[in-house]
Amino acid sequence: MTTETLVIILLTLKVASVAILVVVVPATILGYLLARYDFRGKNIVSGLVGLPLVLPPTAVGFLLLRLLAVDGPLGSDAIGFDLGFLLTWKGAVLASGIMAAPLVVRTARVTFEGINPRLEMMARTLGHGRLSTFLNYSLPLARRGLLAGVILGFTRALGEFGATVTIAGNIPGRTQTLASAIFSAQQAGENKQAYSLMIIAMVMGFIAIVISEVLSRGRGQYGPSR
Amino acid sequence: MNERTPQPSWDRLLVDVELSLDRFKLEVSFETQSQVTGVFGASGSGKTSLLETLSGLRKKAKGTLQLGDETWLSSGTFLGPEDRNIGYVPQEGLLFPHLTVQRNLETGKKRALASGHDFETTLAQVVEILELSPLLNRGITTLSGGERQRVALGRAICSGPRLLLLDEPFASLDLPLRRRLLPFLNRVRHEFQIPMILVTHDPIEVQALCDDLIVLKSGKVLVRGEPRRVLSDPKVFSLADRSEFENILPCHSLGQENGASIVELGDPTIRNPDPPVRLVVTRSEGNPGDRLFLGIPSHEIMIATQKPVGLSARNLLPARILSLKAEDAVGIVTVSLTKSLPPLAIEVTETTISSLGLQPDLEIFLVIKAASCRLYNAGN
Repeated sequence: MTTETLVIILLTLKVASVAILVVVVPATILGYLLARYDFRGKNIVSGLVGLPLVLPPTAVGFLLLRLLAVDGPLGSDAIGFDLGFLLTWKGAVLASGIMAAPLVVRTARVTFEGINPRLEMMARTLGHGRLSTFLNYSLPLARRGLLAGVILGFTRALGEFGATVTIAGNIPGRTQTLASAIFSAQQAGENKQAYSLMIIAMVMGFIAIVISEVLSRGRGQYGPSR
Repeated sequence: MNERTPQPSWDRLLVDVELSLDRFKLEVSFETQSQVTGVFGASGSGKTSLLETLSGLRKKAKGTLQLGDETWLSSGTFLGPEDRNIGYVPQEGLLFPHLTVQRNLETGKKRALASGHDFETTLAQVVEILELSPLLNRGITTLSGGERQRVALGRAICSGPRLLLLDEPFASLDLPLRRRLLPFLNRVRHEFQIPMILVTHDPIEVQALCDDLIVLKSGKVLVRGEPRRVLSDPKVFSLADRSEFENILPCHSLGQENGASIVELGDPTIRNPDPPVRLVVTRSEGNPGDRLFLGIPSHEIMIATQKPVGLSARNLLPARILSLKAEDAVGIVTVSLTKSLPPLAIEVTETTISSLGLQPDLEIFLVIKAASCRLYNAGN
């Protein structure tokens, strides 16, 4: 494996990992709120969060680009300093995080909806406040579904191309990830490089799927851990 | 009849609440200082909603709720379930499936310690009284229905509650199993000095456990009072399970004879001047001295206005009529065996009352076949 390929792999893993770490906590909380509470504008929140799933990734990338451009509402002209997302690895994190978030929120929401809310009420009658109930009962009860959502989001971030390439570009060694490297190799007619990158992508995806399978089967139906 | 001396004084529970439900409005108002207050009624009468209101799970409830000096609900106050110091045992147990039995029992530890309870002692006592030690390391999904409910009861007690709220804790179980769990509740009643609200539609549980009874119908209090008197009210009688009403009397075994048990009614620890009342029961249960409950279905008791001779039935008891009530062609005669024993309800037809000339204060004889009586373990 060339140093060049290794750099691509490491950058891809770094971008996807940071993206999922940033996304997981707010996405889980949002999934819980959507599952448990009725509030004004709930459908709008739910729709906005799901939007990246249905939009072309390049549209999401273009929207981010306009927001973050020097003359955009979040650009240096408006807020006085540069947020540093354009053409950087942080931009790739932002783009893949936004594209992965809906999957994590949705899985979390469905998982929490599958947990009997009366179990949480039970915890409260035993003296646990809302936060303690969430941390000690809701989260552990939901852990397998949440992990599945995280892996799903991580694999989505690994393969993100359209939005990432729009705001972070495709700069070898700086913002080029597996997805954009395969595209470049194919465009340049370097089929050998494209093949090897594709195989690496397949192996990484396969490992993620196996891990999620193992996690979901590791413990039977909440049986004792023996 | 479950009196123990000296009786501690229980915190006063004041309930005056309103809650709109789908089919009717729950409007309940009562005060109680009994150790076990029963809430009785057909399904859909608002029993569970009342209990959920007491536990703080119904945020839309309005009115007043107080336990002792603590206000849970008033016009400006709403305490959440975590601040009410209650132990709630729902019908379906609701054990935490990600924890073992032991860990389930420990889920209220923090609260118990914070309210000054000796958690470890209570836990040990709960494990012993509810016979949980073989289950402690088991996962929840491996437990049977009866085991789950015992764990749920134990978990509530371990959290050091000031009030136990039991929502038909054994209703989901089949009848024989339910009867086997009755002694556990009775032991809890005697061993842990915690007042309880017991929601049930089982007259046997009511008579065996409750000191005070509230009957709900369509969200309103229909009748309230001493459990046996309330149950023999024709309005309530018809709400009982399947209309088969069983009188439940505390008794103890005197031993066995030819495969039948001889029991003496009443509590042997309470002295009273009344002559002992003994019955023959064709089912052997318990050893001499064991505390039991005797069950006699109300329609299995015959009334004679003169002492009959040459009877095949083995129990002939003198009694005195307390009251007569009739509704829908069914007559209910309540009778007293002795002053210290709870009254019995006897189901007859309305015509029997007139043809036998039954009236209050009439001295009569009760004829009861040994095979009509059932014995239940009272658990201590």
